[in-house]
Amino acid sequence: MVPPVQVSPLIKTARWSALLVGLIYGKQRYDYLKPIAAEERRIEEEEKKLREEQERIYKQLSEGL
Amino acid sequence: MAQAVQKLVAKVPTLVGAAVNYSKPRLATFWYYARVELVPPTPAEIPKAISGFQDLLKGFQSGRLGQTTVRDALRNGLVATEVLMWFYIGEIIGKRGLVGYDV
Repeated sequence: MVPPVQVSPLIKTARWSALLVGLIYGKQRYDYLKPIAAEERRIEEEEKKLREEQERIYKQLSEGL
Repeated sequence: MAQAVQKLVAKVPTLVGAAVNYSKPRLATFWYYARVELVPPTPAEIPKAISGFQDLLKGFQSGRLGQTTVRDALRNGLVATEVLMWFYIGEIIGKRGLVGYDV
């Protein structure tokens, strides 16, 4: 088998620091996006309730006629 | 149906054994190379990395980098791309999902 190549220390540090930076970036972006998504879901729920309420009223009115 | 499931369940140990037998030598080769090539830098290597980076900067300022051959430039480009990909792997681990943020 080909003997393993000795990787230069610059490349090794660059790789593992890139891994670390990516890890931190992913975690922070996730923490930033999570409450925004929860807020959007909540707003969507409320709007859905409102829309369904209006549809119900509309249906009742149209059936009443 | 139940019989087919039972036969499958009876075969699982053999399948697992076959998978282990298949992967053992390949795992050994992987470890043989990874133990030397993929290990993080020891604290003693970090000053060498910093000096290597400074050499790179000096080479850029002196214009020496303009003398690299196309073949060397391509090879260095591939190495740089690989280093960049480790950032995305870190992001995948940090966001705990393969594709997209699971919010």
